[in-house]
Amino acid sequence: MVPQGYVCTKTHEWARLDAASGIVTVGITDYAVEQLGDIVYLELPAAGKAIQQEKVFGVIESVKAAVELYAPLDGQVVESNKAIADQLDVLAADPYNAGWMLKVKPAGANSLSGLMSPQEYQAYLESDEAKKH
Amino acid sequence: MSDISRTVLYGRHVAGGAKMVDFAGWEMPIQYPRGIVAEHLATRRAAGLFDVSHMGRIVFAGRGATAFLQRVLTNNAAELALGQAQYTVIPNAAGGAIDDAFLYRFEEGRYLLVVNASNRLADLAHFRANLTGQVEMLDQTDELAMISLQGPASQEMLSAILDQPALPAPARNSLGIGKVHGAKVLIARTGYTGEPLCFELMIASQQAGMLWDMLAARGAAPVGLGARDTLRLEAGLPLYGHELGIDRDGKEIPILAIAPARFAVSFAPAKGDFIGREALLRQHAVLERIGKGDYSDLSALPRRVMPLAVLDRLPARAGCDILAPDGRSVGYVTSGTVAPYWKFEGQGPSARPGEQSALRPVALGLVESSLKAGDKLQVQVRQQFCPAVVGPNLSAKSPPYARPVLCQI
Repeated sequence: MVPQGYVCTKTHEWARLDAASGIVTVGITDYAVEQLGDIVYLELPAAGKAIQQEKVFGVIESVKAAVELYAPLDGQVVESNKAIADQLDVLAADPYNAGWMLKVKPAGANSLSGLMSPQEYQAYLESDEAKKH
Repeated sequence: MSDISRTVLYGRHVAGGAKMVDFAGWEMPIQYPRGIVAEHLATRRAAGLFDVSHMGRIVFAGRGATAFLQRVLTNNAAELALGQAQYTVIPNAAGGAIDDAFLYRFEEGRYLLVVNASNRLADLAHFRANLTGQVEMLDQTDELAMISLQGPASQEMLSAILDQPALPAPARNSLGIGKVHGAKVLIARTGYTGEPLCFELMIASQQAGMLWDMLAARGAAPVGLGARDTLRLEAGLPLYGHELGIDRDGKEIPILAIAPARFAVSFAPAKGDFIGREALLRQHAVLERIGKGDYSDLSALPRRVMPLAVLDRLPARAGCDILAPDGRSVGYVTSGTVAPYWKFEGQGPSARPGEQSALRPVALGLVESSLKAGDKLQVQVRQQFCPAVVGPNLSAKSPPYARPVLCQI
């Protein structure tokens, strides 16, 4: 289950706004990690790079396949998690904290509106639609 | 017909928590809860247990069976001794492959051909169209289950469960017949992992669960199709639809483009004429010329499948372009993944797998025939160009985990 305070995309990325700093942290859900299986490679954008909602920001690879990662919001990358590239196990062990991927400065206010709450995401996973993503 | 099939071991896969997928019309385990990497490593260290009952099993009998197989297969079926198996290809007239297969001669008077699940119906239709008198063809895919047991501990495990611990002669492709709890088991020293110790077992379908459970109880790790693919790729073994069949540009891949076909195509006088013989002779002539260092005319075999060591962490996948150092396109990746290996401890003959494992990309590519082991290449993965080296073709005698060495070229 996705923790409270997080919001999710249909393509299984999560985002969490830190109210104090205004910075949004981005990662992928435990469902996504579980579906991928053994993760072997992660490609993330460098700090400074602009990302666009619903556009590809990176690639994650399991033994089986390469899967694109889609940005949950418009913004600019402040930091990407370089530590996990060498410790991909962290994604499975702690996808919502240590397994974060990007810290993003949002391009505007309400950048995360339209994303799913943990409850909505759970209901979405139980629907047939989730299988397409 | 559109219904998806299940093997007789389906219930065991589900009970074991496997993730099931549709593969060639069969609902098969892609992986068990431990995952592809752990299943791969378990096979290399001890033994992996595979349900391969989805593959097609076709029996040929009758006085005309040998002559028929000589005509529709590339290898010399008449040379196949009782108690032996051979790799073979089902050719078309153009010298391309309808399928690749293994031909087994367990018993006098009948042959058993094991074909790819995805091609079984096409193979049967092709055989039917070429069938002559005095040949009986029987599809036994449902009646006979098939279980593969691969890895260094496989021999010990199998001996332990046989009613009488008599195994086939210790050479690849040798066959025997044994019993487990009174049930007849066809035993072949064959496999698709590159393991020197390997067995494929065939048993009446209603007994297959018992055989599976006994091997699992001895510690053989259930392995799904995911690790089956990483294991075969690490061993450099071809897969129809990738290294054989139709290439990325819609052209037929010549049978002799794959290294194992060299031992699966026979022009022996005893074999006589067969489908695709003329085209295969032209392909063979190119190999002969290359062997003499003559690269003047490669037109019948312009590209061959070669193993690639990708010297990067980035997995090169099927479809990636392969370039020469000067940027010229020389082919493409036919299969690519990341495979784990045990890090070895010690030096020389005393070296053995340690407790640590690592991952590295492994790939096969269809590249210009003039390339040879050691040639430097680049593989384009998305916007990146990864350095790669053409690897040597792996001998079946050396286990594929010897391959991490390649990454230090």
